[in-house]
Amino acid sequence: MANISIRNVSKSYGALNVLRPFSLEIENGEFVVLVGPSGCGKSTMLKILAGLEPATEGQIFIGDREVTDLAPGDRDIAMVFQNYALYPHLTVRQNIGFGLKMRGTDKTEIDRRVDDAARILEVTPYLDRKPKDLSGGQRQRVALGRAIVRQPQAFLMDEPLSNLDAKLRVHMRAEIGALHKRIGVTTVYVTHDQVEAMTMADRVVIMQGGLIQQIAAPDELFNNPANLFVAGFIGSPGMNFLNAELRDGQLTAFGQQISLPRATTHQGPVVVGLRPEHLTLGEGPVTFSVRPTLVESLGSEKYVYFEAEGARIADGEDSKSKGLIARVSHSGALPRNEEIRLGFDPAQLYLFNFKTGERL
Amino acid sequence: MKRTFAQSLALYATVIFTLLMILFPVYWLVVTALSTTNELYRLPPTFWPTDPQWDIFARVWAAKPILMWLWNSMLAAVGSVALSMLVSVSAGYALSRYSMRGGATMGLFVLTAKMLPATLLVIPLFSIFSSFGLIGSLWTLVLAHSTMIIPFATWMLKGYFDTIPKELEQAAMVDGCSPIGAMVRVVLPIATPGLAATALYAFVLSWADYAYARTFLVNSPDNWTANLGITTMQGEYVTYWNDISAASVFIALPIIAIYLFLERYLVGGLTAGAEK
Ligand SMILES: Nc1ncnc2c1ncn2[C@@H]1O[C@H](COP(=O)(O)OP(=O)(O)O)[C@@H](O)[C@H]1O
Ligand SMILES: [Mg+2]
Repeated sequence: MANISIRNVSKSYGALNVLRPFSLEIENGEFVVLVGPSGCGKSTMLKILAGLEPATEGQIFIGDREVTDLAPGDRDIAMVFQNYALYPHLTVRQNIGFGLKMRGTDKTEIDRRVDDAARILEVTPYLDRKPKDLSGGQRQRVALGRAIVRQPQAFLMDEPLSNLDAKLRVHMRAEIGALHKRIGVTTVYVTHDQVEAMTMADRVVIMQGGLIQQIAAPDELFNNPANLFVAGFIGSPGMNFLNAELRDGQLTAFGQQISLPRATTHQGPVVVGLRPEHLTLGEGPVTFSVRPTLVESLGSEKYVYFEAEGARIADGEDSKSKGLIARVSHSGALPRNEEIRLGFDPAQLYLFNFKTGERL
Repeated sequence: MKRTFAQSLALYATVIFTLLMILFPVYWLVVTALSTTNELYRLPPTFWPTDPQWDIFARVWAAKPILMWLWNSMLAAVGSVALSMLVSVSAGYALSRYSMRGGATMGLFVLTAKMLPATLLVIPLFSIFSSFGLIGSLWTLVLAHSTMIIPFATWMLKGYFDTIPKELEQAAMVDGCSPIGAMVRVVLPIATPGLAATALYAFVLSWADYAYARTFLVNSPDNWTANLGITTMQGEYVTYWNDISAASVFIALPIIAIYLFLERYLVGGLTAGAEK
């Protein structure tokens, strides 16, 4: 086990900058999740950590050792791939023991450790099968077994759950969490799924376009997003955004003047963010009337879709009009197109710089 | 889905027709070998000799150095397979895995070499080989056949390696293999069907060659390959087609044996289970 230090690592393929200078300190035993939309450079970062891709610039330390120029096999890390990458010509036992064998561990020791790993991951009955005779979930476990058997300094996992069906995914998510608690190995986990990131991580690194947007614990990320991108990425349904005008601490939105409780000196256009769950049915400190365009019922909860002046999506300068959502507790009927009142507390508004998207 | 009777009929008719097309020449070879010379020239032809000459095989075997010819063919083929596999596996793997400047262009260039007819290459090859004093040696065939085999074999293998997820090598490297180790321990075992198919292709190409053997070896009877040897059985005035056919049967047998041996490796689907 070890801490990992990524110092100013960047990566480009020719003219394409895939990672901008990227720095991250990961503590011993920490579970860090890299999350971001597809193509943002997560896998690239993980491959650089593993030594499968060279960094264009920067340094990587695992423990006290600089590993920037070491071969993957010399870094003492284990990796779990999205497609599992089990060796199809080897049995489960040989798959799990392969790394030990390559390192010249003696036969009885390999057997003992493979048996241990197999017991932890409950794949003992399949040890003599080939990967093609396993289900998706079993293959996933074998891939994890191959990682834990070596007792490496760190685990690197690249979207290990994305090939499982939804139910198994939730189950394996909990299992990987429990496994991490049990063996406590420093883990870097890559996913595009913000729910996975929020539920599994000690700390989340949100990336977009090769740039780190924010590094924070899940709750911190939810409560204090650093910018528009993070605010829109975390949470489901996503945060509502409106273009609005701020003048002398007064915000013009939802057809009214709203006094902001926090003092701000910012003047001019801003983006206002409001989480769907912070809207309530009925009167609030600020109240407005809407006609729902759609109401989705989840039983005790309702997603109320409505339109509002200036509504926009998180990224995209064009402020393309988009409906807003309120997530309200209400078990009765809410007819479409019939006027309802929605309220919120202005203390729960988020304000973002209109140009840069930074939080104000 | 269950086939209707008409569909089954069409299917089997096609299979039988194709088999007849493929097997008829083989059958005719055997019939020719077993017939007497007189019967061969009879019209209409007989579809099974009235008096099959089973002793022809023993006679031809005793009269001609068939075993030596086969041995020479075997040496040339095994040498060509070994040399061309060594080159094609490395080249195909490199083309599949490493992006290099001009890699695609180079790949295409390699393939165009395949389109040059043997007769075009035979003259320059002859002058090269004679300046190295190789004319008359089986090495000429190993080298010449490899020039025919390598371009296409490289492409076959590149295509095969492309189907093997590169995460498998990455996993092997994380597990402690060097890049070469990952190729030898993981990629090649998985690529067995592709390797077997390519080796078979190479073997058959070398075994079937006549033009190169005729040009480079004609004055060295001790190094004649089977194909070259057989054509010398064609007389100036009389040709004993039954003798030639019997010798041809001997030449076809090793190919069939090799095929039966490689067949178990030719089945695909070995990568099944590597991924999700
Ligand atoms: N070998 C490569 N050559 C060129 N571009 C690449 C290569 N590998 C990845 N990229 C590009 O780098 C970007 C980041 O890729 P990746 O790290 O796989 O993203 P993610 O895992 O976050 O979806 C993508 O735009 C991808 O097209
Ligand atoms: Mg990825």
